Amino acid sequence: CSPFSKLQKHGTDDEKYKAALEYYKKGDWYKAGVLFEELIPRLRGSSEQEMSQFYYAYTQYHQQLYAVSATLFKKFYETFARSDYAQESMYMYALSLYKDTPKYNLDQSNTLVAMASLQDFVNAYPESKYREDCTKMIGELRKKLETKAYERAKLYYKTSSFNISSLKSSVVAINNFQKEFPDSEFNEELAFLKVDAQFQYAQNSMETKQKDRYKDAITYYQDMIDKYPKSAYVRQAEKMHETSLKEIERIDKLEKEIKELQQKQNDTNRPAKVTSAN
Amino acid sequence: VLAIGLLPIASFAQVRVGVGAAPRAAAPTPTNELTNYADPKDYEIGGLTVTGTRFLDPNSLVSLSGLKVGDKIRIPGEAQGSAIRKLMDSGLLEEVELFATNVQDGKIALNFAVKERPRLFRVNFVGIRKGEQESLKDKVKLNIGKIITTTVVKNTQMSVRKFFVEKGFLNTKVKITTIPDSSRNNATMRVQIDKGPKVKIHNIQFVGRSELDESKVRLKMKSTKQMRFGRVFSPSKFVPKKYEEDKQKLIEYYNKLGYRDAVIEKDSVINNGSKTIDLVLNLNEGRKYYIRNIDFEGNYLYPDTRLREVLGVRKGDVYNTEELEKKLNGNPGQDLSSLYMDDGYLYYSASPIERTIEGDSIDLEIRIFEGKQATINRIILNGNSKTSDHVVMRQIRTLPGQKFSKTNLIRTQRELATLGYFDPEKIGIQPIPQPDGTVDIEYTVEEKPSDQIELSGGWGGFIGFVGTLGLTFNNFSAKNIGNLSSWRPLPSGDGQRVSLRFQANGKQFQTYTLSFVEPWLGGRKPNALSVSMSHTVYRQYGLDFYTRGARGATAVGAYDNTAITIGLGRQLKKPDDFFTLNHSLTYQRYNLNNIDLFYNGYRNGRSNNFTFNTTLARNSVDNPQFPRSGSTFSVSGSFTPPYSVFRPADYKPSSEDRFKFVEYHKWMFDATWYQTVVGKLVLSARAHMGFLGSYNKRTEIGPFERFVLGGSGLAGQGVFALAQDIIGLRGYPDRRVYTADNNRTVDANQASQGGVVYNKYVMELRYPVSLNPSATIFVLGFVEGGNNWGSYKQFNPFDIKRSAGAGARIFMPAFGLIGIDYGWGFDALPGVQKANTGQFHFTIGQQFR
Repeated sequence: CSPFSKLQKHGTDDEKYKAALEYYKKGDWYKAGVLFEELIPRLRGSSEQEMSQFYYAYTQYHQQLYAVSATLFKKFYETFARSDYAQESMYMYALSLYKDTPKYNLDQSNTLVAMASLQDFVNAYPESKYREDCTKMIGELRKKLETKAYERAKLYYKTSSFNISSLKSSVVAINNFQKEFPDSEFNEELAFLKVDAQFQYAQNSMETKQKDRYKDAITYYQDMIDKYPKSAYVRQAEKMHETSLKEIERIDKLEKEIKELQQKQNDTNRPAKVTSAN
Repeated sequence: VLAIGLLPIASFAQVRVGVGAAPRAAAPTPTNELTNYADPKDYEIGGLTVTGTRFLDPNSLVSLSGLKVGDKIRIPGEAQGSAIRKLMDSGLLEEVELFATNVQDGKIALNFAVKERPRLFRVNFVGIRKGEQESLKDKVKLNIGKIITTTVVKNTQMSVRKFFVEKGFLNTKVKITTIPDSSRNNATMRVQIDKGPKVKIHNIQFVGRSELDESKVRLKMKSTKQMRFGRVFSPSKFVPKKYEEDKQKLIEYYNKLGYRDAVIEKDSVINNGSKTIDLVLNLNEGRKYYIRNIDFEGNYLYPDTRLREVLGVRKGDVYNTEELEKKLNGNPGQDLSSLYMDDGYLYYSASPIERTIEGDSIDLEIRIFEGKQATINRIILNGNSKTSDHVVMRQIRTLPGQKFSKTNLIRTQRELATLGYFDPEKIGIQPIPQPDGTVDIEYTVEEKPSDQIELSGGWGGFIGFVGTLGLTFNNFSAKNIGNLSSWRPLPSGDGQRVSLRFQANGKQFQTYTLSFVEPWLGGRKPNALSVSMSHTVYRQYGLDFYTRGARGATAVGAYDNTAITIGLGRQLKKPDDFFTLNHSLTYQRYNLNNIDLFYNGYRNGRSNNFTFNTTLARNSVDNPQFPRSGSTFSVSGSFTPPYSVFRPADYKPSSEDRFKFVEYHKWMFDATWYQTVVGKLVLSARAHMGFLGSYNKRTEIGPFERFVLGGSGLAGQGVFALAQDIIGLRGYPDRRVYTADNNRTVDANQASQGGVVYNKYVMELRYPVSLNPSATIFVLGFVEGGNNWGSYKQFNPFDIKRSAGAGARIFMPAFGLIGIDYGWGFDALPGVQKANTGQFHFTIGQQFR
């Protein structure tokens, strides 16, 4: 029987509290956590309650159980709003959430919560020493959302060789990205991908729809050139632009010929003019 | 005492803010009036005290209140209300009152006068059996330590009574008394129950019923049945809630049959003493209605004729509102709503109006709202906490820029469910219309464990370990192997599959298998890459194995086989997307050490088999467990390098090197076709052929990859088969169907060497007994025929050994497919006595040929 399990079984609350603090100082987060967890319901309404809860939250944080530590820190600053540790606790809550955010390619609802609570902290304690860290973290999380949206938009482009209709989807998705993250560094690449996707989409369209779609490709090219005249993709885009212009010209010519042909046919089909004698 | 403000915070708490003494506090000197709302004043808190505590710590209550000595506080103001609220929210107190005990030089001393609550210590149920007490405790959630309020008592009383009424004890009486224990500040709750006798229904009378049979009407009252001797499984009892539902169901049944006006005009419950009741239902059935004309209103996109055709309701049909609703908004792809909703008309709605009723005929007008066409803008995905976006997104059929489509939505739901990573019950799909006329589609998923562990086996005395260890990870991520922080417990989320398996029968036989599949190689197209490796060891022991055990015995002969296969498969778009094309490259090494596994004298040596295989397949079967329609078809060719072409004409290898480099080309053709004959009866027709050849006349066709035919088609079965295609033919002994040149008689050894060309035809009639996905069972009758030839000289595809019989199959996800057949062979096999008699065959696993 180790001294720890002996203490767990037979120790009084007082002994356990002391031991928990001891373990906490030594950095044995697991054992300290176990003891605090056991003590908290019994200390309810006593003076050690505040510190136990605070330390308990930290033991979970150090064990990288961020989801748990987030709830505990939140509970702490809500219960003991006037405590000296309230500010730290609120910061740790946000930090725990930040550490618990998943990779960009998973569900990001936790990222949104983390961003909101970091912002809440900055609003509540504008003079805090943690302020700078918080703004930095908010930036990082925003970058995560940005990467997600970028990868999503690009995924449609990537899979278009298998599914032609996802070319159109990638144009829509890039449009949304541009609206949502106008200052993103991905925009340069995406601006080109948009031209490329629209151009390929026009190429693979039915004859009757091609003209409008090439026109859109030209508009997207102009947007790109206006914004990123020195982009590495300019030469590739220029070629698409040229082809689009030529194609439009060709279609226009074709349309004209068809019209003339129809006109002729109508003319021959028309009954001969009858001129009356009077 | 000057109590001035009266501020109820919660229904059970009275809070007073005032100047003066709490009744329990020491008498302070009353000062001037503080709670003058017209003139709030700022104070500094000079002291905070708590009175009235018995078990709780006053200091911690103060800290719970959120107030602190030295705080600036405005009275009257926000702060004191919030302090009281915080204390009440702790759930520890019954009453909180806040008093100012002293006011001096802008400093104020405050006192909380509190009253702690009694807590529930124990619940005693009296008057019922122990088993009932247990289930009551589960039903009536009374947590020990809960604060006892009148609401709690009343709710308990009601839910206890409801518990018994739902069981048919209509006359249950419940009385609750609480016995306080003031020394410990808690109380015991005593629940006295007198449930009385169970009330049964003596008689149910349907007055006014004439159109429908009495028995049918009774049947519709599913939970409300009349007393009858021998009613064991659904005993007669009267549960008011169920009775109401049953009445509703009865009317729905009438409506379904066209009795649109059917109503229960009156129903009475007649009490016969306390043990039984009678029910009298007065029905007014009305008449049966038929549909006469259907007109459409509000349709601009499609003409009436087209809508009528899609709706499929004809003049003279029984007027069944339920069926009509189904045809308007029912099956995706087949109802009227799909016509619109698959083309972006998200806001479509159709409501049928009865325009005229004449006699038994009804004219319907279907009012259609077409609305605007909506284009999909964003796809929102929530809840994928483990599986990466791209794995899910590539299954989603609704694409931005496309028109909204209900059918695609449903299809996506199915695709997501088949991934196996998400709980199929909890896949949520929500179209969110946007103000700009577009629509966002939100998919919500919930991850579920998708990995499989297979463990079976034991320690068999002298044999050693016998059994299987298997691990399958269905959502693996090879990319993240290097990233240790993503191991939870293994890197996951990229939709790859890794499977490890170890099978052993002691020292005699062991197999190790490792396989990996990436379904979307490169992430651009669904090109599946598969890599698999396996290693098999087989040892033959002499008789001393059974006396001295595996440790002591020496192997007489042994063989091992190592194989590596790399395959690349892709879904084709042309001619249609049911086609798949697979290429694979295999290397196999056989190492024979004094063991005659090919039955041709090749006992020692090493063989290397490099093959390239191409398979073109098409599968349009509607359901893998019990197909009713569709077909499968596959052609494959396998080729080894043509070593013999480069060899000199006088090449004469030693007997060991005879098959050092295996050489052959092999062609397989399989086709299956399913068709529903009538009702649930399904006809399945199959044809299979296989050809094995050498590249030139000088080279014999080796012993590798030959065909053996007959019996259940199961590997193993006492004979060890190596590098052979085992094909079943019911009604004949295992692997004995073999035709040698000139129909010579062959012994078992020769038949086991296998043939170079085979064909087989099967006709099966199947009837499903149970289509439950947890146990699909069907019975079948078959006629089949096939033959297997030792050379091409005698090959004739119409010269077949015929058989007929019947059998059954059961599919369970845990075991796979298990089957039994009885077959009768009609033709004689040269060299096999009594070949054409009845045979039983057991099969495990899906048989393709």
